[in-house]
Amino acid sequence: MEHYIILARSVTYAQRMRKSLDRAGIRCQIFRPPRDLTELGCAYAVRVAVSDLPGALTALHKDRLDPVQIFIYQQGQYQEVDP
Amino acid sequence: MIYFDSAATSFQKPASVAAAMWEALASMSSPGRGGYPAAARAADTAFQCRSELAELFGLRNPEQVVFTLNATHALNLAIKSLVPPGGKAVISGYEHNAVTRPLAALNTQVSVAEAPLFAPEAATEAFRRLVVPGVDAVICSHVSNVFGFIQPVEEIAELCRSRKVPFIIDASQSAGVLPLNMEALGAAFIAMPGHKGLYGPQGTGVLLCGDGVPTRPLLEGGTGSMSIQQQMPDFLPDRLEAGTLNMPGIAGLLAGVRYVRRGGLAKILDHEQHLTRLAIQGLENLPGLRLFTSPGLQHQTGVLSLTAEGMDVEAIGSALAERGIAVRAGIHCAPCAHRTAGTLDTGTVRISFSDFNTPEEVARLLRAIRGVLGRLF
Repeated sequence: MEHYIILARSVTYAQRMRKSLDRAGIRCQIFRPPRDLTELGCAYAVRVAVSDLPGALTALHKDRLDPVQIFIYQQGQYQEVDP
Repeated sequence: MIYFDSAATSFQKPASVAAAMWEALASMSSPGRGGYPAAARAADTAFQCRSELAELFGLRNPEQVVFTLNATHALNLAIKSLVPPGGKAVISGYEHNAVTRPLAALNTQVSVAEAPLFAPEAATEAFRRLVVPGVDAVICSHVSNVFGFIQPVEEIAELCRSRKVPFIIDASQSAGVLPLNMEALGAAFIAMPGHKGLYGPQGTGVLLCGDGVPTRPLLEGGTGSMSIQQQMPDFLPDRLEAGTLNMPGIAGLLAGVRYVRRGGLAKILDHEQHLTRLAIQGLENLPGLRLFTSPGLQHQTGVLSLTAEGMDVEAIGSALAERGIAVRAGIHCAPCAHRTAGTLDTGTVRISFSDFNTPEEVARLLRAIRGVLGRLF
């Protein structure tokens, strides 16, 4: 199923993102993204539905939580997208 | 045992603390180290603890809450982040070795803002004379661990802000008892134990870090983030938290913090000061006894030091221990404070209360002290 993942710099940052999205009424999940998505090593991300991305970015921007990277998952593959 | 050594560590804890620790041992692994449920539960608990500490101490961002082993660890991080070897620091006259030893290790040029006991205006004036541009850090205990003296950290913070000198507050004796608002104070760091007034277990401490304040790790290692990079991450809390976190401790600390927030700081302080007043009333007329008190406890928490003329403080402490009463005698790891108060040669007997002590326990303490004085004189 298509979705977006928003990369965070740490697990604590991902939790701040989840809290921000919860406040905005946007459902999300924290998870470990595939290893090859980032050159940084261990990472965490939040996953949101495709239709929720604009609202999620607005909420995160409001809380000054800039994503490290954003990817879309479709047809079994991840592809980076611009915020 | 009746326990009156809560300035060292609070021994009686809310039942929820031990329950939370058991729960953590049974169900949590390590935060930031995996995506499976046990790691997620650990991460959620650590984040919740950071968030509730941030709310309690007036911080907006829980990432600025760093877990440490104890207040000493937190103070070492703070001091070594700001004070270079051979640098300059101003401290109060009531500091603990957790402050003075790291400064000595750095060969710091230390100026002591000396002021009489329970004289906050004099303390502020002493800092006003010494805090000048070029000082690397001002460090002050909010409350003296020996005398319970509440130092004027708001005024000192204002002074440091106006002179652009970073301020480190040692909240070892005030966290969980007195209000502290990190952002309002504009402090660079606030260090505290988890195991005293916050009622967490031993082995827990907290460092609150000011926004944008430079930090220097004492340890390097795994953080579960930026793993390819061989330098420590440049963001908090990871930068200062190398290695596996003490999850049972953090779970217990969260339960302790919730206990404090539920009861309220003012109620806890009222209770401890009430017990202190009872002790003072019962002891103030005993011949040869010297009590170190602030009139009306205006500038004093639930910590009471005393000496008895012609008697060794350790002998008093031991005699009380034989009667099942735990107090702390000696120098309390704070020669600086004793030097300032003029008690370095004798030390003091320190009685320190917690939310779990009762007036009945104080009555037994008073009977025991009268008995000890009668026997030893």
